[in-house]
Amino acid sequence: MAKASQVQRKPTAARLERLKTEVLDSGLCVACGACVGLCPHVLFYDGQVAAPDDCGLDQGRCYDLCPQALEPNQETRRKGLHALAGQEPNPPLGPYQAVWQAKAKSPDLAGRVQYGGVVSELMCLALDMEVVEEAVLTKAGRRGAPEGVRVRERAGVLEAAGSIYAAGASLAALNLALAEDSSHKLGLVGLPCQALAAAAMKAHQAYPAAAKRLSLVIGLFCTWNLPARGLRALLAAEGVDGPARKYDIPPPPAEVFLVETASASQEIPLAKVREKTLPGCAHCPDMTAELADISVGAMEGRPGWNTLLVRTPTGQRLVDEAVKRSLIVLEEPAQESLKHLRAAAEGKRTRAAAAWKER
Amino acid sequence: MADLTKLIPGQIALLQGNEAIARGALEAGVAFCAAYPGNPSSEILETLAESADSAGIYAEWSVNEKVALESAAAASFTGLRAMASMKQNGVNVAQDFICNLTISGSGPGGLVLITCDDPSSISSTNEQDARFIARLADLPLLEPSTPAEALAMVKFAFELSEEIRNLVVLRSVSRLSHTRAGLVPGKLPGERPKPYWDPKTSYFTMPVVPMHQKMHQKLARAGQIMAQTGFNRYEGPELPELLIIASGSSALYASEAIALLKADQKAGVLKLGCTWPLPAEMLLEHLAKTEQVLFAEEVDPFLESEIKAFYAQNVTQLGIKRFFGKASGSLASTGENSPGKLAAAIAGILGIDWRALDKDYADKATALVTALVPPREFGFCPGCPHRASYWAIKQTLAVDGRQGLVSGDIGCYSLGVLPTGFRRVNSVHCMGSGLGISSGLGQLGRFGFNQPVVSVVGDSTFYHAALPAMVNARWNQADYVLCVLDNSATAMTGFQPHPGTGQTASGQGGCKVDVESMCQALGLSYRIVDPYDLTATQEALYDALQEGGGLRVLIFRRVCALVQGRQGGHPYRMQIDQEACRGQECGCNRFCSRVFRCPGLVFDEASGVAAVDEVTCVGCGVCAQICPAGAIVAQPKEEVAA
Amino acid sequence: MSTALKLNVEPLDLIITGVGGQGNVLASQVLGRALLKAGYNVTVGETFGLSQRGGAVMSMVRVTRDKTMGPLIPENRATAVVSLEPLEALRVLGAYGNSEVMVLTNDRPLMPVNVIAGASNYPDLSELKAALENLSARLYWLPATKVALELGNPILANVVMLGALVGCGLLPVGLAEIESALAEMFNEAKMPANRQALARGLELMA
Repeated sequence: MAKASQVQRKPTAARLERLKTEVLDSGLCVACGACVGLCPHVLFYDGQVAAPDDCGLDQGRCYDLCPQALEPNQETRRKGLHALAGQEPNPPLGPYQAVWQAKAKSPDLAGRVQYGGVVSELMCLALDMEVVEEAVLTKAGRRGAPEGVRVRERAGVLEAAGSIYAAGASLAALNLALAEDSSHKLGLVGLPCQALAAAAMKAHQAYPAAAKRLSLVIGLFCTWNLPARGLRALLAAEGVDGPARKYDIPPPPAEVFLVETASASQEIPLAKVREKTLPGCAHCPDMTAELADISVGAMEGRPGWNTLLVRTPTGQRLVDEAVKRSLIVLEEPAQESLKHLRAAAEGKRTRAAAAWKER
Repeated sequence: MADLTKLIPGQIALLQGNEAIARGALEAGVAFCAAYPGNPSSEILETLAESADSAGIYAEWSVNEKVALESAAAASFTGLRAMASMKQNGVNVAQDFICNLTISGSGPGGLVLITCDDPSSISSTNEQDARFIARLADLPLLEPSTPAEALAMVKFAFELSEEIRNLVVLRSVSRLSHTRAGLVPGKLPGERPKPYWDPKTSYFTMPVVPMHQKMHQKLARAGQIMAQTGFNRYEGPELPELLIIASGSSALYASEAIALLKADQKAGVLKLGCTWPLPAEMLLEHLAKTEQVLFAEEVDPFLESEIKAFYAQNVTQLGIKRFFGKASGSLASTGENSPGKLAAAIAGILGIDWRALDKDYADKATALVTALVPPREFGFCPGCPHRASYWAIKQTLAVDGRQGLVSGDIGCYSLGVLPTGFRRVNSVHCMGSGLGISSGLGQLGRFGFNQPVVSVVGDSTFYHAALPAMVNARWNQADYVLCVLDNSATAMTGFQPHPGTGQTASGQGGCKVDVESMCQALGLSYRIVDPYDLTATQEALYDALQEGGGLRVLIFRRVCALVQGRQGGHPYRMQIDQEACRGQECGCNRFCSRVFRCPGLVFDEASGVAAVDEVTCVGCGVCAQICPAGAIVAQPKEEVAA
Repeated sequence: MSTALKLNVEPLDLIITGVGGQGNVLASQVLGRALLKAGYNVTVGETFGLSQRGGAVMSMVRVTRDKTMGPLIPENRATAVVSLEPLEALRVLGAYGNSEVMVLTNDRPLMPVNVIAGASNYPDLSELKAALENLSARLYWLPATKVALELGNPILANVVMLGALVGCGLLPVGLAEIESALAEMFNEAKMPANRQALARGLELMA
């Protein structure tokens, strides 16, 4: 007969406990949002993920979906997810069917997009084609910190355009959308960690809604990200006056972080910014969002243009249609640029491997 | 509680210890009574307040026990009989005044201090023996054993006080204050003198040393007068094998234990009711007639130590004795006594074979209780705003992410240390100490301390002790957030009024002193939030935490759920959408009943979904905000009725 | 005074227990008054502190002809236990029970908040009943809340239990004395329901 007072649930193997120990409390969290919005035990506010209570369950999605969780390790995980899509991992850029330099043509993108506007235009097209009915994007929210937003129209997509350089846990918005009793298709624009989590969602047995409804993932190139509060503090310390409208990191040899507000444009030494990056980012090997349908980044040496990697048939169909409708222009990329891209991606892989080894 | 003036002199009535004390004061002609609520003392002033109009007396809830005793002393200076009552912690608050008053002396009107201690800490934060105040301040001390004796002792206390012109202390405990027994009330007095303080008379303590000597003389005189009362009694054989020296409830336990052991030929009880100064003559007489002494008292070995010292002083005359008590381990040094504990102690000393119970039954009972009986935890009432407040604090400190601390204080919200308050409180000590601690933490930034500090205090505690700490924080620029949980009540002790309610003990309007006026006066930034609105409260708290730079105040204003219940209740009928409820699945796992823990929410194992306990739920609507599936619905009551 | 009824056990040591808010302090006061009026020596010891906040509340009612008793019943020496909640009855028996004790309990569980939260288990009711039977000379398992609800208010359960207590033959007072004590404490408007509750409680023992 069990002792009445001893019938306590003490979950040492519980998933949320592991997530806290391995990721949240050990500095690995990159605030991608995969664990947020699944349940009320995980909170996200002003850039910070927190789990004050214990859920008491031994199995749960939060740990399984976390891109930074230790088990299985990232390489194993990624391999498995690529295999599910019938792909080889193909380092350092990941699997792709085509690589382009690309630019979106519409004049309404000017002044709003980061480089070539290809991400925004492709997502608008996906909405128009009803490949997706709702897009999960990232936008500055309360207190200027980024948050996930759900949009259904071009205007909403353009409002969320531009790089943000801080982690906004936008996958929380995806989780909330998937929790709704609905069948409409969803699209995501996300960082490499988020593309990994999205692929894990679609493969997860206990998350059928993801497989059914997440139909497009556009990934962004990323070397590191900043915590929202850290960025805010940095800008305040550097005397940046007012909310930032645009951020950029110009190509080498410039070692600066550019911040544009309504009144001024300011350069902050890049070294200062690198000090503030999320420690978890050092453990991520993926620079080009290898698990997305399409991955987009800057084009070296060509401001106003994007590098475009088409990875899956879904991605290919979308790009083909965009070309057909004269929404985007594609050109062959310069081999030098591709070489540099591969080198940069390889560098991130190497650094990540070293970081994991140190752990 | 009732109007005690309605009792009929000469007709036996069932009165609680506290009521007996109050009635004793009325029969002694008390005019002025002041107190601060504190279990187990609260009923004394409550009863006097209810009787105030008929008795023509003044009964006041003061803001704290120091002010209460000072006010009562003032009445005594004018010739009115006055009384202050409190729990053991109140004596601590009043102590500085007591230690000075004993030198200046009280006035022509008798002045009595009632302390109601709480052995075993039935409802206190500590277990403290306030009898030491008598020794510390050289004051006469009375310890009644029954309500009838308490009534008689109170009357005697006023007379004694006037004889020696000093404060007299009467000490009760929970087991007396909250025990009802039959007693016969006496007559209520007629006229009382008009208060007057001759300006040529002064009450101060200088020159201290000569006045200190005079104080000792007063105490000795008190001893002589007390020896004439019948409050110290011996019952037992002429030459007992074991003499039990006992006071208070322990005297009754000792008598009963002797009866249980059938040891009335071997053991006798010297019941002491006048315990300080020690009744020297009586002690010499009875110590001479025995060789073994057992001390029975609560909680500390006060009489045990003092009488052993007295014995040492007189050892040549008395010879060798064996002493038993807390020092010998015969009785525990903590917790209250009981008949069984006394029986075990006496049996051990006298070598009597005694088992309190049948061993088979004992084993059976222990096994069944261990196996089947879970504890019954304390918790906030359904609808309690403190649950919502602690929820907001817990969530906000979590996303703040800097390992914030919560400094707690005294009141219903002290339960924040328990699961009902999500175990979020990091320290609780005495009234107002939470702010003092926060004040200290708020200065540690210079050493690299970077954990944010949230101090939690109730509205009654705010007026009692928090104000000086707030001045300190403002003046020294301590960095912390103060959350005033303003539920417009001194709830834990029974809903006595306080300055923020604007009501006084008599029920008539007093002048309202509100929390925000105090903040304004101190130049503090403050915001008022409704804890029932979790999002707004969390955002306000998050803002305050990021602000930094000195003391910031958030007033969490929402009336106590029990008070609301008496004022028409809450607006909602809560319902569960069973289809939407996620039950025990990943995505929830009974978040409402398991984590939020309002007793109005239960989990139905059979159906696997949450349910509202309609008898318990009051319909405050807060839980609807925490359900991840939106399955808890708050329906306005009028709509439901329609 | 009911001359037909006598105090057969001395001291008659009764424990009235339950959860804060169920009214057992009131019940013990009513009983105390009735006994005092009938000429007996009564001591009623109440334990409450944080009880309103969901904890257990216990009163000890000690009855003698003349002798003044202390407020605490000696460990394991209760004559009878009257409980407004079945789990509390078992808890009390652990400290105050003996092989001769008589137990009257309401059969309606009140879940502790830690049980509702899933942190502890409330025992199976039949197991609980069996344990009470095991630990007492006689168990009365009474639907006091059910009766109280029939009469219109669950709080009347404590008065139903008082009626039942009259029916167990231990008290030297009867229904009339209890009713008279109740009438001193409640206004006349509340009395019809209380009278019915007493009568129904007594019926339960038939």
